[in-house]
Amino acid sequence: MTRLARTGVWPGILLAAGVFALCLVLALALGPASLSLGRLWQLVVAGPVQGDLDNAIFWQIRMPRVLVACLVGAALAVAGVILQDLFLNPLTDPYVTGVSSGAALGATIGIVLHWSNLPWVTVLALVGGLGTLTLVWMAARRRGRIDIFVLLLAGVTIAYLASAVVTVLMISANQDMHAIIYWLMGSFSGRGWADVEIALVTLPFMAVPLFFTAEMDILLQGEKRALELGVEVERTKRLLLVTAGVLTALAVSVSGIIGFVGLVVPHIVRLLVGPGHRALLPVSLLVGAAMMVVADLLSRMVISPNEIPVGVVTTFVGAPLFVYLLRRGRRA
Amino acid sequence: MALIALRDVGFAYDERPVLKRISFELEAGAFVGIVGPNGSGKSTLIDLIDGILRPGAGEVLVNGVATDKYRRRAMARQVALVPQHFDLDFDLAVREVVEMGAYCRGKEAGPSGDAEEMLSRLGVAGLVDRRFLELSGGERQLVVLAQALMQRAPLLLLDEPASALDVSHQLRLFDLLRELNGEGLTVLCILHDLNLALHYFDKLLVLSEGEMAAFGPTDDVLRPEIIEAVYGVRAFLHRHAGRTYLTYSPRPRGDRLGRVHLVCGGGTGSGLMRELVDAGYDVSAGVLNALDTDEETGRELGLSMAVEAPFSPVGDEAYAENLALMRGADVVIVTAVPVSHGNERNIVAAMEAAAAGKPVWAAAGVLDADFTGITAGVGGVGVLLSAAADALHSALAALPLRSGRP
Repeated sequence: MTRLARTGVWPGILLAAGVFALCLVLALALGPASLSLGRLWQLVVAGPVQGDLDNAIFWQIRMPRVLVACLVGAALAVAGVILQDLFLNPLTDPYVTGVSSGAALGATIGIVLHWSNLPWVTVLALVGGLGTLTLVWMAARRRGRIDIFVLLLAGVTIAYLASAVVTVLMISANQDMHAIIYWLMGSFSGRGWADVEIALVTLPFMAVPLFFTAEMDILLQGEKRALELGVEVERTKRLLLVTAGVLTALAVSVSGIIGFVGLVVPHIVRLLVGPGHRALLPVSLLVGAAMMVVADLLSRMVISPNEIPVGVVTTFVGAPLFVYLLRRGRRA
Repeated sequence: MALIALRDVGFAYDERPVLKRISFELEAGAFVGIVGPNGSGKSTLIDLIDGILRPGAGEVLVNGVATDKYRRRAMARQVALVPQHFDLDFDLAVREVVEMGAYCRGKEAGPSGDAEEMLSRLGVAGLVDRRFLELSGGERQLVVLAQALMQRAPLLLLDEPASALDVSHQLRLFDLLRELNGEGLTVLCILHDLNLALHYFDKLLVLSEGEMAAFGPTDDVLRPEIIEAVYGVRAFLHRHAGRTYLTYSPRPRGDRLGRVHLVCGGGTGSGLMRELVDAGYDVSAGVLNALDTDEETGRELGLSMAVEAPFSPVGDEAYAENLALMRGADVVIVTAVPVSHGNERNIVAAMEAAAAGKPVWAAAGVLDADFTGITAGVGGVGVLLSAAADALHSALAALPLRSGRP
């Protein structure tokens, strides 16, 4: 968008990429069985090999888990940027659309049913998330336009409804309560390559908003001003809302509900690089990924060999950070 | 072909009609103001021209093409709009805000110096590296104008651009618009200040309750009768210091409290004339010499007056006319006018009216400036009052001024 700022975009992105790479290496190296940097390199070069314990830990357990964390963190951060800026509301996070609650309902049904011929928890979570997105969408559509406030209200309402159903299911399926709660808290524990495949679907959706940075910048001035300046507001809004919804549904279906990343990351990044989307989107993506990888690392390191659900870690880190940011005053 | 043309345009929000039967055309290069009371549909009209709203009836054509046929980007290349309110809660640089205006031009947008160039054009080049949120209201308005000008559209619409600006910024803005107009930009601007409209605009469109009350050259449109019909206030045109300007009285014509006749002159009555007119009294005056300050004020306020030729003593004809005006009045007031042989007959007339039972008040000062001694008789027949406005008002309010009037 801003041609002079264009030169100013890359240092931020490169720095964020560096931080992300560092976090990635740390997450791959550390764990109950820590690996040296040299050993890490050997394992990467060797590829998956049968019969080697380190190799199995690295390729079968740690690598897919870290990759899923990266993709989920990035997806939630990007969805957070989109929704905060479309709603023009700094307190918006990817879960206000109700998509996560729909996904939670799907996952709960999957857990309660005990079907095992497919990763039913993940599949039903995805179905629940996308189904909720469709419902909310239909509620918000009026005379061919999407009313962003109705969308917000419908999202919150459906979220409550879905949570109520989840609660009923939890109570009636007593023996599964632990699994359901654990899923709801969010975790990357035991995620494998099948989950990576689902999470990889987020990549093209994360790329979509990068083509609309100019439009998103202009939309910061409100929908009417954007129309006046020549933006096809309805089309842009629809595309971005669907993108954010799909990203959230995909992320939640493989990880459960991990709070605060989608809320806090866009705020932190705005403080660092400003609200212009050419920098905000890619840097948020990288910082979201880095933060999630580190949170996951903490979740498996702090009370090793047990694990804290990663959603608990992000909340413990995110909540005080967010309060601090709010107290600092809303510069962004 | 007209740059924009509206044909019998109507628009309603839900069921509530906002605009009715609007038809006019604007040629390229026009410099036109839109005035009208709050809620008369001005902002709706420019949103219709910009294609943000679609007409419920009739059609709005930009370059001969209906606005609903345009894609937004193509429309933004034809029509730029400076909104009344501009909200931005995000901490963007002024440069970024200005450059957003070039969005509609896509890849053809010029080199990166554009924003700077545009701001220096508006005389605020120094703002380019500031943060938008740090700017004052006036600076923001100029930045938003710069943003709109970045569209390089041939038509610029403005919605009350001057309302947040101080006097110096207002003049700068309108001078600038005139300058841009001189370079070919067509300007259609909503404004509330009729004196600014009078001074800057060639042509005005007056909206009243969603309909066109007038459209034409500014001097024809801003006549007191039209302003009174549209705004429900009395308006007066004044010519002073080489300018024409308007002042207003809150009460519409035809709602008179009573009639007051003033014996004044040399500027001693002008303030009182205006005060009485604003308070809703019907005012007459005499005898005044033509071109006397009070005579000019009375003429601009449209008072009935007995007038004598400049620098001449009061003649018989004017004297008789003055007496007739006094008879028709509920009360006669003599201001602290200096009395000399030129106007002593006015005092005689006042005393005659008093003798006939008309309440006559004289300002205390009139005795001090009496060079003839004639007012010595006033004390016996009239009521002597101080001319303090407050005392006058309460005294007037106590009088049965409406007596004998329909």
